[in-house]
Amino acid sequence: MRFSEAKNHPVVGTGSADTVGKVKSFVVDAAQARVVALVLAKAAGKADTLLWEDITSFGPDAVTVSSADRLVEPAGELAVLVDKKHAVLGKRVLTDAGDGLGEVKDVEFDPAGGAIRTLLTSGGEVAAWQLIALGSYALMVRTA
Amino acid sequence: MRVTEVVARPVVTLRGDDVAQVKDVVYGGDSGAVAGFTLAGRGLLSGPMKEGLPWEGVLALGRDAVIIADESVLQPRKTVVARGEARRGDALGSQVLTDGGVELGRVVDVVVEVGRSAGVVGYEIDPTEAIGRDNKRVLIPLPDTLAVSGERLIVPAETVDFVTDDLAGFGAAVDEFRTRLRRSAAQGGQQA
Repeated sequence: MRFSEAKNHPVVGTGSADTVGKVKSFVVDAAQARVVALVLAKAAGKADTLLWEDITSFGPDAVTVSSADRLVEPAGELAVLVDKKHAVLGKRVLTDAGDGLGEVKDVEFDPAGGAIRTLLTSGGEVAAWQLIALGSYALMVRTA
Repeated sequence: MRVTEVVARPVVTLRGDDVAQVKDVVYGGDSGAVAGFTLAGRGLLSGPMKEGLPWEGVLALGRDAVIIADESVLQPRKTVVARGEARRGDALGSQVLTDGGVELGRVVDVVVEVGRSAGVVGYEIDPTEAIGRDNKRVLIPLPDTLAVSGERLIVPAETVDFVTDDLAGFGAAVDEFRTRLRRSAAQGGQQA
């Protein structure tokens, strides 16, 4: 599944059948090439972040979660990754040889486990094994 | 790539953070090499930085950025600049003379190898009539070692055969040039 398809997916609490929010953005740990959390829009309180391990299922039409209590306010390392400076979409891509590959346009990921498969950039595709780190300036990737 | 093209490029760590941008190139005259770079901050209003980047700290010189492992490779600016001066200053403006006594021209830029191994491979020079290319700037390859003083550097006579104005094919010319020098050095040894 792609980030562009999964964005705005409703997030539904299975206990109450209520909508607890909708997918606003994806929190990525580039070093592990994984989606580690989702940030939701229209969450009721200040807690708007859903850790990947707290998701019940990432389905084709909705994300399910046991209840709205699962939502957290990001703190610590997660807060750093949630920071806008570390948003992956639109991020500049640089190789370890210092050459630019454009910007991240979309990300193909595995909805079952959260693993990133491929990044689509304006300069072409980048495979998951190439990812090094996501910084304030650029997403660093190994030269293919 | 001409080393002056690196000026104003961002200096980026492998973690993806931009910690500086290149302000100036520090030339080490004696070895004919580049000692490092002085740095400026990244913001519009930020001035020169207290830290400089020594050449050994550079992982790669790319089209879009200078890559370093992390900020720990930066050294005090004074240390980096002093290393350039200790080697009797600037390669730029130096006269290029062959060991046969022919003046080829004056150095206007330093050509470096790019990508993941960075190194100095040649000079761009303002040529004399000895090269005869309508005074258009040309590139000359650099041997592994050469003699340099404050105002002059001595290159092998064979250099004349490898003068080019094609930066794209320059890497191959440097390899061929260095191979030929090593071969003639080996032959010289046998005759002696």
